[in-house]
Amino acid sequence: MMPASAIAFYLIAAFLLITALLSVTGRQIFRSAIWLLFSLLGVAAIYFWLELNLLAAVQIVVYVGGIVVLIIFSVFLTRGSVQELPTLKKSRHFFALLAVISGFLFTVWCLWLYGYRQKATDAVVADIRTVGKQMLSIEAGGYALPFEMVSILLLASMVACIAIAMKLPDSKTTNTLK
Amino acid sequence: MFSFQQWAAQIHSFLLEKTGTYTLLIECIIIGILAISLFAILGLVLVLMERKVAAHIQIRMGPNRVGPAGMLQTVADTLKLLMKEGLVPRLADKFLFNLAPFLVMMVAMMLLAPIAFARGVQIWDINIGVLYITAVSSVSVIGVMMAGWSSNNKFAMLGAMRSGAQIVSYELSAGFSILCIVVLSGSLQISDIIASQESGWWLFRGHIPVLIAFVIYIIAVTAETNRAPFDLAEAESELTAGFHTEYSGMRFALFFLAEYINIFIVCALGATLFLGGWMPLHIAHWDGFNHLMDWIPSSVWFMGKTFFLIFLIMWFRWTFPRLRVDQLLNLEWKYLLPIGLLNLLLVTWIAIKGWHF
Amino acid sequence: MFIKEYIKEVYQGVSSLLKGMKKTGYYFFHPSEIITQQYPDNRHELKLPERFRGEVVMAHDDNNEHACTGCTACELACPNGTIKIITKMDLTPEGKKKKALDTFIYHLELCTMCNLCIEACPTNAIQMAQTFEHSVYDRNKLTKKLNQPNSKIREGVE
Repeated sequence: MMPASAIAFYLIAAFLLITALLSVTGRQIFRSAIWLLFSLLGVAAIYFWLELNLLAAVQIVVYVGGIVVLIIFSVFLTRGSVQELPTLKKSRHFFALLAVISGFLFTVWCLWLYGYRQKATDAVVADIRTVGKQMLSIEAGGYALPFEMVSILLLASMVACIAIAMKLPDSKTTNTLK
Repeated sequence: MFSFQQWAAQIHSFLLEKTGTYTLLIECIIIGILAISLFAILGLVLVLMERKVAAHIQIRMGPNRVGPAGMLQTVADTLKLLMKEGLVPRLADKFLFNLAPFLVMMVAMMLLAPIAFARGVQIWDINIGVLYITAVSSVSVIGVMMAGWSSNNKFAMLGAMRSGAQIVSYELSAGFSILCIVVLSGSLQISDIIASQESGWWLFRGHIPVLIAFVIYIIAVTAETNRAPFDLAEAESELTAGFHTEYSGMRFALFFLAEYINIFIVCALGATLFLGGWMPLHIAHWDGFNHLMDWIPSSVWFMGKTFFLIFLIMWFRWTFPRLRVDQLLNLEWKYLLPIGLLNLLLVTWIAIKGWHF
Repeated sequence: MFIKEYIKEVYQGVSSLLKGMKKTGYYFFHPSEIITQQYPDNRHELKLPERFRGEVVMAHDDNNEHACTGCTACELACPNGTIKIITKMDLTPEGKKKKALDTFIYHLELCTMCNLCIEACPTNAIQMAQTFEHSVYDRNKLTKKLNQPNSKIREGVE
């Protein structure tokens, strides 16, 4: 008999794959977004199954609470989101299939190279303290530089947002009716 | 002393003896039944409480015909909703239309997991408790948007969009005020946060910045649960009923119930973070006083604090007029968010210097 | 300065909200302020507000005399034709002819209790009564004759 955790894994994996497939094959854009939401939740469930609680919560916050909501918002603002999308031409099917197969093969190749060696060391505890220390550590294996780079990138994008959204008082006459 | 912990341990050992390997499964089922019955009771109590509070604030009597002092009014309402026909509009997306109320309800149920109801009564003491609650509660907006879109109705759609914009923006300030307490207590785990308030609640120990964080938290969660004065998503005068315009019968009841469960959960979280959860009122070095306070059961403390916060939110609802959309976004982006950020900085300073009591 | 304005704005906003909450909180904790009437239960000790308007009545004194001169000012003031006044010609003791009230017809089913007729009346002959249990099974019963049979105008009212 399979252990309960294996059953749970296969259930989550099946859920994830089915919803991911439905998301790309669906012909209604809003439903596709909802299926995408469920498959992202499935990924979070896998993380929970691996006891990577922090990563799971971040997955939900960023992807489900942030990105899917943004996608749904843009679907709402799209005209004709109620109609079904037209089916694609045959030639496009061919290229899509090609892209899928090459992506799949690439993933399999990566997994093959990894090789699943048995590790002698203990499993890393994904405690939030460890993650935080690692994130800001400037020693070997620390992520202080990428962290700061990402912060600067985010700051730059925020400034850019404000610059785009800002109304300049003297440009009122020029930017209308264009 | 009377304690839930002993009961739980007794039941656990009894089950382990009788059923062996299936103990976990049986315990899960027991917890599920308990959670569902808690939901049902909370729904009945909170709706009645809302109506009574509303009535008394508006110098009225409120429901007083069904049962003694109107106590059974919500039971009668529930029976009515159960027997009502659940209509689905002809051009609605039927699958999503049926799914939306269950999604909202499921999210509310998942949020119950890390809440500590009393000393040792907690379903899942996850090590990122507070983050888990913020993460999972952000999913409920999708249920609302699903309901709005699948109804194929202008009002529902507009309500859903308003609700989305509102929840996404107010999540930020709620998050910042939660972070204040996380910084002070140094942990995301609910049990650690409660334990850190052994010598006094954070609201009293953290000076004015924590008070500001508390006020911001209350305002932000009022907005996040789509309640007046932030109920633009279901503004009756503009959008009939917003995202649940087309819902009737039990599906509507699920939305209605989920709203009240969410209020309970955000108030329980607020009580845990700022008022010490089930921790009795302790003042450092006043041992006699602390001992006296310990005699009141922890569940009474937790429920008392939570219901006090719920009352506060109901008080807001029946006092303030509804905000306009631009006022709503101004309040968040021009007032709550900058003040919250500055406040977080101050709290961090206090925590580093150890200036809190 | 900008910061000063900002803090002032926040302070004013918070204090005005607290003022509102103080008022509603006072009402919540003082159930004696409740103004709801438990109507069918307290039918006998019902207390109606002073300016509650139930229906138009015409006051008669002990000698069965009223103050209506039949001037039709109320009929003209009424916005929806509720009042119809039928006049007759009386003979005064001096043998002169004088216009007087014959029948004051009041359609309660049309009345909106707007109080314009009472304000228009130059002699205060009609008033608003506080009775409000007007439901009947026949709509004709709502058409009322306000002056009592054989009543006449009070001496001295012009």
